[in-house]
Amino acid sequence: MDLSSELGRATFLKLVPKCDIVIENFRADVLDTLRLGYDELRKVRDDIILISMPGHGKDGPERDYVAYGTNVEQLAGLVSLSGYRDGPPQKSGISYGDPVAGTLAAGMAIAALIARKRTGKGQYIELSQREGLTSLIGEQVLGYDISKQLPERMGNRHPFYAPHGCYPAAGEDRWVTIACHNDDEFQVLCTLIDRTDLAVDERFATANARHANQDALDAEIATWTRTRSREEIFELLAESGVPAAPVWSADELYDNEHLRARGFFEPVWHRDAGAWEMERPLYRFTRRPTRIRMNAPAFAEHNDYVLRELIGLNADEVAQLEAQGVTARVPDMASHQ
Amino acid sequence: MESALAGIRVIELGQDIAGGYCGKLLAGYGAEVITVEAPGGRGRIRAEGPFADEAAPGETGAMHLYLNTGKQSVTLDVESVSGTALLVRLLEHADAVVVDGPHPWLDDLGLDHDTRAELFPKLVTTLVSTFGQTGPYADYTSTNLTSFAAGGQMALTGEPDREPLKNGGYQAEYQAGLNAFTATLAGLWAADDTGDGDEIDIAAMEVMASTLEASLNTYCYLQRPALGGRRGNIMSSVIGIYPCADGYLGVHAMPRNWPALARLIEGDDLVTDERFYSQAARLQHEDELRATIYAWAGDKDKREVYAAAGKMRAPVAYVHDMADLYESPQLAARHYFHEVEHPLAGTLRYPGAPAGMSETPWQTTRAPLLGEHNGTVYKGLLGLSDADLSVLHGQGVI
Repeated sequence: MDLSSELGRATFLKLVPKCDIVIENFRADVLDTLRLGYDELRKVRDDIILISMPGHGKDGPERDYVAYGTNVEQLAGLVSLSGYRDGPPQKSGISYGDPVAGTLAAGMAIAALIARKRTGKGQYIELSQREGLTSLIGEQVLGYDISKQLPERMGNRHPFYAPHGCYPAAGEDRWVTIACHNDDEFQVLCTLIDRTDLAVDERFATANARHANQDALDAEIATWTRTRSREEIFELLAESGVPAAPVWSADELYDNEHLRARGFFEPVWHRDAGAWEMERPLYRFTRRPTRIRMNAPAFAEHNDYVLRELIGLNADEVAQLEAQGVTARVPDMASHQ
Repeated sequence: MESALAGIRVIELGQDIAGGYCGKLLAGYGAEVITVEAPGGRGRIRAEGPFADEAAPGETGAMHLYLNTGKQSVTLDVESVSGTALLVRLLEHADAVVVDGPHPWLDDLGLDHDTRAELFPKLVTTLVSTFGQTGPYADYTSTNLTSFAAGGQMALTGEPDREPLKNGGYQAEYQAGLNAFTATLAGLWAADDTGDGDEIDIAAMEVMASTLEASLNTYCYLQRPALGGRRGNIMSSVIGIYPCADGYLGVHAMPRNWPALARLIEGDDLVTDERFYSQAARLQHEDELRATIYAWAGDKDKREVYAAAGKMRAPVAYVHDMADLYESPQLAARHYFHEVEHPLAGTLRYPGAPAGMSETPWQTTRAPLLGEHNGTVYKGLLGLSDADLSVLHGQGVI
């Protein structure tokens, strides 16, 4: 639906009364420019819940700046904390701001529904993506307000605990993480790697000592890990209560025994894509089993459902929308070139 | 103004980051959240500094002050017999409980799945852990680092020629906590509709495996690796982090943003430069474009570039450190930070609402002292007497 056309806008405003929630992911100024902001939507449904999720929020001097997911994590402060000890701030492997904003928005939608059920009122939810993400490093931010010291980038290490790192395992580019949060775990680790001498070495006797002598400790641990497979290390340590895990890639996760045993992947059938497997909905409700109810829709697959059944347009009106270019049945790929 | 989740009571067990963040969000939007802490306050959240007052570390650590905003604190040794009994009574008075920790935690108290379902039919129970409640790894212990590795995000983070890297802070745990928040609300919404509670199993490993962008889906579909491994700081010339004079600039240009980016860097000549005029051309001249952006960024002031880029709608930001956040004109204009007074930590500036609600806004109120609400909860809610409390106190149960 081309919302910038008068007919498209009018059609959209006929859809809103049929909806509980409108969620939009435009830049801050777009919805108001389209004259489809919260006040406009309320005129056609008083208790509508509108969720906007602009990068910077709806006001402030930077509101119209462009920001994608990687920019969001830079602005939120996360990137400044990430990085090797001797290196620059490091981006996350994914566009981290995106799934965080999406998950938060889903929660806010339900919070607004719960409030509406009690008060009868809808509301406007404004999710500034950078602010939402700063919420996930809040203790670092507040820590700065306390200490006035910028946190150091420390790679995979921890401010207090050691060992705490990513160690090479046997094979090409194979890695395993090991992290001890207390003396007991470290003692067990020393036994498992057959290095009880480390457990009584005064350089490693206390958490503070281990932290101060991490380079030496990491070298000792890596000597042991280097000749063993990640899975062997993982099983040995995890079974004995020492936190450890391989660095698994997506293709390895696809065959992972744990995810398979939990039924993480669900077979789906798609008209165009055929049969394959996807990850199932994340939240496992015991009494309300979750599953993938619908495939990703084909382009315009639900035009008729929305325009005719929900809004109640007749066949001529639907055809007119299409003829005027307000709706379409095939995508315009020009914007992707 | 009223709060979104007014009238909803939540018990938080475990005192770790994922459950703690979930509880913080529920409390900020108005639920009554009671966090159950070990007598003596041995939980991890209270242990981590920096501390506003070194003489009162358990009450003034940054993690505790931040994650426990808006909550009530009771102390309870849940593993003692009378402690478990009190926990059961608390859960009878709750709409939801959030439990952070590996698999057998509640079961060991005699509160296994079937018992919980029988005792608390209306309760929404959110169990958040790294590996979830079922499967061969369910009982394994973990930390933020090992969880981040198991979930697949770590394999994508860092430089290709160095070891994989976790990102900053405790993101594996925070992501699990954020999902626990959304799932708990979904459970409450459904329970309110039908009167039937539910149990929800949230595994951080699955949370992260679901957010690997195209990597997992592509492998599922094509059975071959999608985007390779660690992506480094510069994924392509126009998506990356470049050093500038006083910090780092982050560039993220999709094809339609190229003209704006090129104008920012050099002006109209670069927009029409045939080496870079299309996505395919830019890919062919990737090295030259990287060199161009490196050379341009090197002597620039981060704030000046950011302001100029914003006006020109070029997607360039700068890497904000913690000081930059507190100095940000944008965050200041939006009153993002909330000044909160705490009797032992003093007045500090807390990150505020993760998202704004026009009718039922977020509130930041201070973290509780350890056991501050023992009286309110045990006497007011459960109807215990002062004599009961002193017996429990004497036994070390509270």
